[in-house]
Amino acid sequence: MKATSIRVRLTLWYGSALALILVLFAVALYLVMSRALREQVDASLDEAAAVAIRTLGEHRFGPFLIFEDLSQDFPEIALLDKFFQIFGPAGQVTIQSANIQSREIPLSQTSFRASLDGKSTFESVKFEKGVPLRLLSVPIRQGDQLVNILRVGTSLQPTEKMLHRLLAGLYIASPVALLVSLVGGWFLAGRALRPVHAITQAAQRIAAGDWTQRIRTPHSNDEIGQLASTFNDMIGRLEVSFRQIRQFSADASHELRTPLTITKGETELALRRPRQAEDYRVVLESNLEEIDRMSRIVDELLFLSRADLGEIKLKMFPVQLDDLVREIQQQALVLGKERNIHTVLEAIEPVVVQGDDLRLRELLLNLVDNAVKYSQDGQTVELSLIVAGDRGKLVVRDHGIGIASGDQGRIFDRFYRTDEARAHAAKGTGLGLAICKWIVEVHHGSIEVQSAVHDGSCFTVFLPLAPSEGVV
Amino acid sequence: MRILVVEDEPKVASFIRRALEEESYAVDVCADGPGGLDWAQTVNYDLIVLDLMLPGLPGVEVLKRARAAGVKTPVLILTARSEVDQRVKGLDAGADDYLTKPFAIEELLARARALLRRAGGAPTGILQVDDVVLNPVTREVTRGGQRLEFTTKEYALLEYLMRNAGRVLTRSMITEHVWDLDFDTFTNVIDVYISYLRNKIDKGRERSLIQTVRGSGYMMRADG
Repeated sequence: MKATSIRVRLTLWYGSALALILVLFAVALYLVMSRALREQVDASLDEAAAVAIRTLGEHRFGPFLIFEDLSQDFPEIALLDKFFQIFGPAGQVTIQSANIQSREIPLSQTSFRASLDGKSTFESVKFEKGVPLRLLSVPIRQGDQLVNILRVGTSLQPTEKMLHRLLAGLYIASPVALLVSLVGGWFLAGRALRPVHAITQAAQRIAAGDWTQRIRTPHSNDEIGQLASTFNDMIGRLEVSFRQIRQFSADASHELRTPLTITKGETELALRRPRQAEDYRVVLESNLEEIDRMSRIVDELLFLSRADLGEIKLKMFPVQLDDLVREIQQQALVLGKERNIHTVLEAIEPVVVQGDDLRLRELLLNLVDNAVKYSQDGQTVELSLIVAGDRGKLVVRDHGIGIASGDQGRIFDRFYRTDEARAHAAKGTGLGLAICKWIVEVHHGSIEVQSAVHDGSCFTVFLPLAPSEGVV
Repeated sequence: MRILVVEDEPKVASFIRRALEEESYAVDVCADGPGGLDWAQTVNYDLIVLDLMLPGLPGVEVLKRARAAGVKTPVLILTARSEVDQRVKGLDAGADDYLTKPFAIEELLARARALLRRAGGAPTGILQVDDVVLNPVTREVTRGGQRLEFTTKEYALLEYLMRNAGRVLTRSMITEHVWDLDFDTFTNVIDVYISYLRNKIDKGRERSLIQTVRGSGYMMRADG
């Protein structure tokens, strides 16, 4: 909606403020100008009166003052735009300059009375169909006696003409100025808002599914530039997590598809024709295995997605890790019995960590189960737990198939399984080590792996020791 | 008909093998990419079933290299990914058909039959030599409208002979297409099976269709 766009609103606000300023400015200009012009007129009248009085003094005051004499002494008086009148003490005109011609400009009562009191008066008059005039009446006294009243006058027409012209100028110039600045304001607002437009367009393209879109940020670090780079950062992070989720679900569906293919294929094959009871038993056993695999994948997926959402509640208590390791070693012996894989405790020290007993057990079991699974028949798996500084150091070492150095960085990724691991143990879900990593991280620890193909792997877990009871 | 299955998941490979063997095909299974490529180039298979996710060498690469090496065997690719681009890559690399996992056994068998038929040049799939008619879909064989019963091995041998009617087939060709890798070539199993077939098809008839080509092998021909 253009009518409510920020650009229109900015321009309108800006235009209104400017219009107000322009009106105030014009009014003030007019007032100052007219006052200054009037003062100028009055000052020139004052000056002319002073000159006239001086001249009259030189010619003695009296009824015999003749304008021609006056203009002889002061030729410039005749050229001036002023006229003179000299009134007698009773207020009657005695002499007046020629430029008045026959017009009668009588002395006003106020001026006459002021003159009697010895004061000068200014007045503005306008006669019918005549020009506006400005008049100065000055009493001329000898002692206390009023001798004459001198009046100097001038037309206000030039002043008024000038003020009119000013007014006309303001009438025309103000709207033009307003229009020009509105256009300029519209343009500038558009320029300032252009990056916003770009952001909107980019957001629309991203909403349409194009995650590669970015806003070309202006190099400035202003508000818009910050908005654009914040927006780009946000989209970047969203893109990464979006891609991870997509990869994750693709991997998940792939991992589930293999057991589905097996159960479907084997069942269909069994049903194609009547078979021996033993054949059905084999198919059912195999299917059960695959169903177990699928439920494990689903359980582990559910666990990881709940972990991602922070929904897994940990019960953190001091855990005697060495007891746990001994217990797991017993389980590992059972796991390895069939394939004659022996799990031994190499070194064990009392270690207490602050943690969730169930999750730590899961971590240990996963690592030891992996070690047994990827060992060759008859090999040994070694466990050790020692104190290393302020951390407990758990080592699980096997001598099995090992992990190529190119794969070591990815084995903690969800669903990542090396070709060798797939070939060696088909039952894995590819999620065990991802879960291990998560458990170690929520316990503020770290996990690392050293391995060489055919030499076996060594997983090392560091977990911070629980603060000793005295300190707590 | 001899088929190579290249599939790394042992259970999947196993049920595909059993299903194909029940249809009297000879089946070899290989669990990795380089091995599959090797076998495809060494043995003259009638069909290759190829998984795309393979250790060692991706299925698409196996296919490209086999085609580059001149292997013309029809190839049916299996993919766990339903994404279009995987299938497109596979077909572009020289596959003749595809199946996405999980698939129905019957569909796998139908596609295998279709590919073998296309390679054999018989569009309807029904094979006929003189008055012997063989339907590979129903696996029914008749001579003069009279139904004949065979064991799976006998049927496989007959189908191979009929597909190549009029051509002399050496013992080693028969071994390669009817029996799998476990077959011991020094026995006279082929001669024994030929005699079984003769008993069922030619015995008591005026025309003998299965002929012995001295020093070379066997041939099935209408104008005996």
